[in-house]
Amino acid sequence: MLIFRKPLEGIERPQMPADVVIVGGGPAGMACALRLSQLIDQHNSQNPDKQLSKENIYLLEKAREIGQHCLSGALLDPRSMRELLPGFEKQAPLDAPVSQEAVYFLTRKGKFKLPITPPPLRDHGNYVISLNRFVKWLGSKVEETGITVFTGFAGSELLFEGDRVTGVRTDDKGVDKQNQPKSNFEPGYDLQAKVVILAEGPRGSLTKQLITRFDLMKDRNPQTFGQGVKELWELPSGRIAPGQVIYTMGWPLTSKEYGGAWMYGSKDNIVSLGFVTALEYPDPRLDPQHVLQDFKQHPFIAGLLEGGKMIRYGAKSLPYSGWWAVPPLAGDGWMIVGDSAGLLNSARLKGIHLAIKSGMLAAETAFEALKQDNFSASTIGQYQAKVESSWIRDELWKVRNFHQGFEHGFWAGMFHAGIQQFTGGYGLRNRYPGTAGYQHMKKLSALSADGGDEAYLLGPAKGDGKLTFDKLTDLYHSGTKHEEDQPSHLVIHDTNICNVRCIKEFGSPCQNFCPANVYEMVDDAEQPNGKRISLNPSNCVHCKTCDIQDPYQIITWVPPEGGGGPNYDGM
Amino acid sequence: MPESILVVVEQREGKLNRVSWETLTAGQALSAETGWPLQAAVVGGGVAGLAGEVAGKKVTKVYAVESPRLDPYTPDAFAAGLKQFIEAQQPKLLLMPHTYQVRDFVPKLATAMGRTVISDCIGYKKHGEKLVFTRQMFQGKLAADVSFGCEPPWFVTFQNGAFRADKVEAGTNAAPVETVKVDIPDNVIRNRPHEVFKEAKQAVDLTQAEIIVSIGRGIKEQKNIELAKQLADALGGEIAASRPICDSGWLPMDRQIGSSGQTVAPKLYLALGISGAIQHIVGMKGSRTIIAVNKDSEAPIFEIADYAVVGNLFDIVPPLIEEVKKAKAGA
Repeated sequence: MLIFRKPLEGIERPQMPADVVIVGGGPAGMACALRLSQLIDQHNSQNPDKQLSKENIYLLEKAREIGQHCLSGALLDPRSMRELLPGFEKQAPLDAPVSQEAVYFLTRKGKFKLPITPPPLRDHGNYVISLNRFVKWLGSKVEETGITVFTGFAGSELLFEGDRVTGVRTDDKGVDKQNQPKSNFEPGYDLQAKVVILAEGPRGSLTKQLITRFDLMKDRNPQTFGQGVKELWELPSGRIAPGQVIYTMGWPLTSKEYGGAWMYGSKDNIVSLGFVTALEYPDPRLDPQHVLQDFKQHPFIAGLLEGGKMIRYGAKSLPYSGWWAVPPLAGDGWMIVGDSAGLLNSARLKGIHLAIKSGMLAAETAFEALKQDNFSASTIGQYQAKVESSWIRDELWKVRNFHQGFEHGFWAGMFHAGIQQFTGGYGLRNRYPGTAGYQHMKKLSALSADGGDEAYLLGPAKGDGKLTFDKLTDLYHSGTKHEEDQPSHLVIHDTNICNVRCIKEFGSPCQNFCPANVYEMVDDAEQPNGKRISLNPSNCVHCKTCDIQDPYQIITWVPPEGGGGPNYDGM
Repeated sequence: MPESILVVVEQREGKLNRVSWETLTAGQALSAETGWPLQAAVVGGGVAGLAGEVAGKKVTKVYAVESPRLDPYTPDAFAAGLKQFIEAQQPKLLLMPHTYQVRDFVPKLATAMGRTVISDCIGYKKHGEKLVFTRQMFQGKLAADVSFGCEPPWFVTFQNGAFRADKVEAGTNAAPVETVKVDIPDNVIRNRPHEVFKEAKQAVDLTQAEIIVSIGRGIKEQKNIELAKQLADALGGEIAASRPICDSGWLPMDRQIGSSGQTVAPKLYLALGISGAIQHIVGMKGSRTIIAVNKDSEAPIFEIADYAVVGNLFDIVPPLIEEVKKAKAGA
């Protein structure tokens, strides 16, 4: 019997007043905290008689340590960091400036190098970084300011009063598998905040509560996502230079799927490589972790990796849809920043710089509100205008239709991207519509039983233990750990659908799209199809794919007990 | 009524809990700061002797709060007995150690008296006339100063280790001990205590086992575990499992081998129906001899096994048990 996590009811919770609560300590949240502190310091030095306090500004981070759950390619466009901390290059952990770049189109055995690198993928001036180390550094800057970072605490619920967000409830600790308090039980805190800033990353769980409650996505394109599966490799020296960037398109994906790979040369012979598969593929048997394994078997890539060693693994979703899918960014008592708001440039596949910038703008808004002691929509709502008059909007406007162009396959996408390039993003019309990714998934009855010419990339990967790895082996390298005795934080609203319908209609795709073997169909003679859904929540790497991609939209990802999750290092 | 501080020390089965001295240290410090005299109370069946032990410390008086109904301990009796005693004595501030027993009865006691408890404190401060107690929040990342908004008596519990037991001051003369009989009607006690038992620390220490028979998914059903147990018994070894088995509750968590369980290195590790995911391997790869039985000849467990048996464990294990028994009988 599966028992799912939910905040305990009928208990008394400690209340704590707060001015600003930032939920999530990634680049957006940390930049927000840092900028807010800078503005307060500046104000306090100019207004000795009207001091503002940082004491009641809190940042919640579900990871046990700052940066532990952050994963990206990553290339950093330094634009926003230069605004936040001029001269940051001297102290930040930047692994290498981009020195050369190439884009390849892969066929099964061959490759074409694109004669010119498409403008969005030109990366000179950017830096190869490990996002989790970068955020660890940024977090240490925040901690120096006196703003309290609560690591190991997740936001489990938003608190409302009417249409106003009034705070955040943190996770209950010490709850067993049956949702009963254990001897170490500690109820979650109710942080009563004047403003809550949601910086949870893609598909934020509180952001989802907010969007649902206020129907924020009406009139917007649905958000679509990619799943990035990443491995860190140590290669023989000289194979890939620090700052060398390789992008590939094509194989192993066919023209029916959208996605591509990256390889970034870091320092000390470390290479970041990964594959982003758009979560809008038609075949439910497709497995993005398998796609990465196939990619590595391409002769070109296998040659580069030969003699190397895989040292880390992880996965994360990223929001793709662009400007037309950005929800309203602020309201009474709340703001949304970074990937939670979908602020990512899908043509460049970059969002860190936008996350940082949006965090800064949210901080400027919160600062004004603090100064005026007015946290109503009239002050907090200014954040929306600030984003719309910033370079975030300029950058996203030009690519507002980029991703939608690819909804009908790779070649259509290239065509649209081409004309959008010359029309300032307009393409064939100002707003291309979009479809939620899971709606592209076809039922098994509409697909060939053996997978046809895509058979090689469906189902679980086998792994040879050197170049390729099965999912559990990869997962081991994510360092993921959770308290085992707790209710499942993957909340399935109706397991009957899994056991009766999904298994027949879609063949239980959760087993395939989850990059961490959380979902399993186990034998159960009492079920009509002989199998029953079983969960391994402690494997979860917090990528949010299940919440996004299940075809019935019956899975809700909620944060597990704070402190659990992957232990990314160098990712 | 003069203001006073009362420390309720803890005794269990006629022995003082060491942490009581810590609370007494806290009481002495608070008494010095407030000028309120410090008293102590021992609660139980016949506790005059224990009260005498406490009377050696620097306190003005020790009460032995007694009733036959206070032995054995029940939260109902303790709450009722202490309520009576407190109402008669009217101490202003009550201090107790934050033990399991106190956590068991003090919320009930305070609620019955219409008061609140500031629990699990790590210290106190005096802000002017006001007493403020410090509690940890957010797992120790913040410290909150909390004070009473209600009328006395005030209940405070102190965290284990917050004060030092060895700093408790002895008195110059033994303090007077007064026995107070409390009258607890039988019908208030709804708890029926059983024999006191000590739960074994860990039923099994797999790290010490020389022979381990470990089962995985291949065992199929919970009832089949009996078969593996028979083999373990025949070999004189312990039974263990990979994660799915313990996760299903078929064996307790302390028998789980692997990255989320125990790491073992026995002389012989017999893996039955375990595929050998890396999460399991890291917990047993140091075993001297590994024998693996699995239907799937490609199972990764065979990569580290010294002896690989490809076959159905249900065909292999029963005759194996017989052979082991025979061999042992012969030897």
